[in-house]
Amino acid sequence: MKALLPEDELALDHVLVMAPYRRDADYLQSLFAENEIVVDVCADPGKIGDCLADYPGVLVLTHEALTPLVVKAVANHLTEQPAWFELPIVVLLHRSSDDARLKAELASAWPEARHLYYQRPVAPVELISGVQSALLARLRQRDVRDHIALEVELRRELNHRVKNILASVNSIFELTYRNVDTLGEFAEDLRGRLTALSRVHSAVFEAVDEAVSIEAVVNLTFEPYRVRDQNRVSVKGPVVMLTREAGTTLALCLHELVTNAIKYGSLSAASGTVSFEWSLSGDNPAELAVIWQEAGGPPITAPARSGYGTRYLKSALASMFGAKPMLTYEASGMRCEVAGRVSRLAWNP
Amino acid sequence: MPAENLKSRPPLRVFCVEDNPLIVCHFEMMIEDLGHVFAGSTESFEDLRNQADAATMDCALVDIDLADGPTGPEAVLWLKERGVPAAFVTGQEPTAAQHRNAAVCTIGKPMSEASLAAGLAVLAAALASARAGNPKLK
Repeated sequence: MKALLPEDELALDHVLVMAPYRRDADYLQSLFAENEIVVDVCADPGKIGDCLADYPGVLVLTHEALTPLVVKAVANHLTEQPAWFELPIVVLLHRSSDDARLKAELASAWPEARHLYYQRPVAPVELISGVQSALLARLRQRDVRDHIALEVELRRELNHRVKNILASVNSIFELTYRNVDTLGEFAEDLRGRLTALSRVHSAVFEAVDEAVSIEAVVNLTFEPYRVRDQNRVSVKGPVVMLTREAGTTLALCLHELVTNAIKYGSLSAASGTVSFEWSLSGDNPAELAVIWQEAGGPPITAPARSGYGTRYLKSALASMFGAKPMLTYEASGMRCEVAGRVSRLAWNP
Repeated sequence: MPAENLKSRPPLRVFCVEDNPLIVCHFEMMIEDLGHVFAGSTESFEDLRNQADAATMDCALVDIDLADGPTGPEAVLWLKERGVPAAFVTGQEPTAAQHRNAAVCTIGKPMSEASLAAGLAVLAAALASARAGNPKLK
């Protein structure tokens, strides 16, 4: 069974005619042409296989065309068809033929086709409307093919994404588990990280073309903390669109920064502030620089050992920007900055 | 911990080719827990080719789908040509099976410490036999 058909838009929308007796072929060709139906005539029975390989929408055969060679070639064509495929075959019979025997023979030779029989002489209007409705049915079959292909693709992509999200959740679980001392701390850290992951997932899913702006990622990350800290987080930067992956990574990094600031940094003090700013410079490719700066918090010192949050921040920003981030622990406040090529980050419209 | 019975062997410098930073971070900690050394990571085959130095790694863990597409098999071949044995770490076992000649083994995702330890043992053996066959790589 063939899995694919030519993507050619012409496939399935023309009529293939085999009418070897006298001027039958000419007559049928001009009749179809007058009714704006595209026709291909097969004059040589030896070439029927080639003509069928162009995927006619409908096959029209006169009684004289039904030689064993042609019947066999059509049967071969039918057995190679995919599951959604059903070729309509119009047979124009002699007035004096033994209809029942011939129909039985063709039904067994061509089991996977739709047979339409007309007894000659046939009224042109009757033949044309039969062929036109068969062609329409064919085009619907092609739509079915397209839907099947699309569904297969969507299922594959969905499976891929679910696996990726589960892998992320699994890593978050393992990393959180390694870096806590109590069950309460574990629950709090895990809940925060999973919430950050699901919030950015919703934002990216709802966005057009799955691109999300830095501003949107920043807002959704800070939103849970803004109610309490109305004016303590300032955000500034131009419009930069991120891919799904880059948006997710940035959201998780900002989550680590903001929770760290609440626990140990500037947001742990009543008057402390955070500013997060980003800017573009140069072009082709432009460089994006981001700076997280805390101020007004308690005096801080560099942590003696890096927990998961800091290690993740460093390695995620490095892979996202293609450049190592700089974390500095000045007494006045923690600062994290990184700059890298925008081509790695931005979804280009 | 499994790290104990590996102490007698020299630690491996393990490189990661993986585009999910969470997973890289997780792998980094597991590699260190097993007594080995995390030798860095890249998120794409392109970055591996342009930025990585094969001399700084003993073996590599490579995903199939990377930031520049399904280029994991190419990355594994690139590493192999430079004497670095690699294992696929992927949820796409069928694709990994199609390229099994290039990679030394396949570790399923999500990767546990036990499956990483088993994979690293296979990589260590592949490295030892490659170096025995080509003394220059020592």
